Amino acid sequence: MQRETITSAATGAAVSHKEKPLWKRFIMQWQVQVMIFPALIFILIFNYFPMYGVFMAFQDYSLFKGFFGSDWAGMKHFEAFFNSPDFFRVMRNTIVISLLKLFIGFPAPILLALMLNEVRNMVFKRVIQTISYLPHFLSWVIVSGFVISLLSVDNGSLNILLDKLGLIDKPVNFLSLPEYFWTIIVTTNVWKEVGFATIVYLAAIAGVDQSMYEAASIDGASKLKQIFLITLPSIMPVIIIFLILNIGSLLNAGFDDLLLLGNSAMLRDVADVIDTYAYRVGIINNRFSYAAAVGLFKAVISVGLLTLANFLARRAGTSLW
Amino acid sequence: MKRSKKLLSGVFTLALAGALALSGCAGKSEPVKTGGTNTGTNKGEQTDQKPDGFHFGETPFTFTYYVNYDWWTTEPWGASPNSKWVQENLHVSVEPIQSGGAAAQKLSTMIASKELPDAMMMDRGPDVERLRQAGALVPLDDFIDKYPNLKKWAGEETLNMLRSPDGKIYQFPNWYTAAPTGNDGWFVNKKIYDELGRPKLETFDDLHAYLKKVQETHPEVIPLEVGREGQGVEVMFAGFANDHPSQFSYMKAFTQGDKLVTIYDNDAYKETMTYASQLFREGLITQDALTQKEDQVKEKLATGRVAVFVGGNATNLGREGHNALRSTDPTAAYEFIWPLIKPGVDKNKVYPNGYNALGWNVNVITTNAANPEAIFAYLDWLTGEEGQRIMFFGPPGSYWDEVDGEGAPIPNDKWFSTPQEEKDKDKLEAYVWAGNATYVDTTKSKIEANLPEEQRNWGAVAQLNVAWKTSHNNTQFNNIDPAPDTDEGIILQQVNDLAKEYFGKMLFAKSDSEVLNFIEAAKKDTNGLGYDKVLDFRTKVWQENLAKMSGK
Repeated sequence: MQRETITSAATGAAVSHKEKPLWKRFIMQWQVQVMIFPALIFILIFNYFPMYGVFMAFQDYSLFKGFFGSDWAGMKHFEAFFNSPDFFRVMRNTIVISLLKLFIGFPAPILLALMLNEVRNMVFKRVIQTISYLPHFLSWVIVSGFVISLLSVDNGSLNILLDKLGLIDKPVNFLSLPEYFWTIIVTTNVWKEVGFATIVYLAAIAGVDQSMYEAASIDGASKLKQIFLITLPSIMPVIIIFLILNIGSLLNAGFDDLLLLGNSAMLRDVADVIDTYAYRVGIINNRFSYAAAVGLFKAVISVGLLTLANFLARRAGTSLW
Repeated sequence: MKRSKKLLSGVFTLALAGALALSGCAGKSEPVKTGGTNTGTNKGEQTDQKPDGFHFGETPFTFTYYVNYDWWTTEPWGASPNSKWVQENLHVSVEPIQSGGAAAQKLSTMIASKELPDAMMMDRGPDVERLRQAGALVPLDDFIDKYPNLKKWAGEETLNMLRSPDGKIYQFPNWYTAAPTGNDGWFVNKKIYDELGRPKLETFDDLHAYLKKVQETHPEVIPLEVGREGQGVEVMFAGFANDHPSQFSYMKAFTQGDKLVTIYDNDAYKETMTYASQLFREGLITQDALTQKEDQVKEKLATGRVAVFVGGNATNLGREGHNALRSTDPTAAYEFIWPLIKPGVDKNKVYPNGYNALGWNVNVITTNAANPEAIFAYLDWLTGEEGQRIMFFGPPGSYWDEVDGEGAPIPNDKWFSTPQEEKDKDKLEAYVWAGNATYVDTTKSKIEANLPEEQRNWGAVAQLNVAWKTSHNNTQFNNIDPAPDTDEGIILQQVNDLAKEYFGKMLFAKSDSEVLNFIEAAKKDTNGLGYDKVLDFRTKVWQENLAKMSGK
């Protein structure tokens, strides 16, 4: 009974696309449309309704007066942010760290997936896959604990190792010197997330038609050629979608990792990004409107970047919308 | 395409209507809530009808309590011997509200949702002031007159310092004191010190020579540990000039005549940073100074891998390290030493410690409390002699049975036979929210003095012999910082951020001249932010404080 209604509604929609006005089609499909409602309400309540909070960025928000009682302040907080001595540093760090994460962190799982795909021994493949995705489930607090105990000067494992190998004559202060910070942050990010992201690409690769490989090998294509001419083009739509999503979140340089590993004042020159800045200056000091303004600025730029990436992708033939 | 747009806009209209309806509800509920808070004062009037005030035990009484620190967990009521005693004898119970490791956010959330607890412990200053301005706090003046203990122990002068701009007192002080207190300073690893022949350790030159020796003979040991965020360097600062308390370094300002001026003009500060940077460059100070966590410091101390320690909370870190060392090696020990000085400085005018007669922080009672007088009555009992005795030293029959003529408990056999770790499990101190340092410290010293050497508490001895004697009265600098959301407050936050950055740069500098360059740069940058406005603000408050203290 139910299935009948659904199929008839679906076919009905297809057939009547040109003849009946939208609201009629809508009424005809009401059983199906009703099913969307819970999801719509969910999105409205949890994603759209709280958005009124962004207006806080244009207020002098006071906790006691509340949202409706606080005074309006116009663009004051945006101006304060743009004129702040930290603005350029924060923007530079945000962009550099996220670009580094994008250029190194984005191709890494694709590479790992291509490599794993060529592994013939199933047991070995499974073991590698499990080991590489487990760190994803560790919180940054734990990972930063690892990193700190690995890289410390006093009793740090890496310094002990390098010393024993005779590569250094005195311990290197990895955690305090700004020149090491970006390397550390990108490396730990790749280590933590590479395995988990690989799963998606492996699944995409598994969906590639095997007969193409057979045909290619009959034609005499080498393994490497097969990867570049069959595997990569076949999973390209997946890669592009992930790339768009990644570009959209380009200004999300990270928060937990930078807050935990880059907390030292020595590293602020290289580690302070929009999110940590908003947290440190805004939330901690009760300057909520300022924090909201900084956050809103970031969101606006992100939407712009996402649109741009999608536009470029659409010209290439694959896009999100 | 056009049609689907219509559908979309239809959905959005619906959504907007829904959102408006919802926000309408939120708007409506507000006045109801404020009405609720108003009843607090009504109830205050009710209790006024009773001439004698609040009597314990007449009606069992419960209030909610929140402590505004990330690291604090309020222990469950009735779980410790002292809170259980209160529950059974005074019929007072407390429902803790926890900060969950994010105190600032928790407090903001409670303010925004108008769900403040009945009473809170927090730092004096901007947070208290903004609550007061919003009318969220109950004035305590009438209660102070009515109940005996706070008036008696804190005294007029201290209470006057707690007055808010409207002339009323809203804050119940915690660990206020009439005598110097403090925990900061220096200690050495006795085993290494003995091995190297106990060379003289009084000046910074002695220290440098000693650290060099440690570095040569004990490469696995950290010559000088400075604690988390290099705080030891700020403690060290006190030794570079007469009457330069470490508070100057924390404030990034020092007193010159009747003005507060930037620390970057201070010669002692320049010498401190040059000296610290030199030690750091030579690998004599822990290289992880700016990145290490408190636990890493504790681990090093517990395993004896530190030759000399300087820093905050030294009496407690030293006690823990000392006890840990002792448990594996009875000959190992840490020794608390007199603060080191630059040659020529008077060692009796060196103050790595500071105390504020107002104590550590304050309790406030909010207008949400149904019976503010009962809460005050409890805090007043707690800060009195009986309250301090039971809450700090344990209920009668535990570690003491009788008291002497001055109300100090006389330790019984169990006091001596119970090891400190066992006593620590009771977490007695965690329930002392209206600490009376005048009573507790004199009592502690009295008990400690009567103990045989072996049983003395390492930390208490260190405090008695050194820390308290090198403590500066900083009451004059009370509440000296502007609120964070004012113009001066915003500048101060930027100055503090910059100061921290430059502090790291100075420590990591490659030469002495580079240190001085950084100091010049720090001075220029902080002045550029408008630091002089903050200093003007602070000078004004400081002068007001001095006037208040001299009994205007």
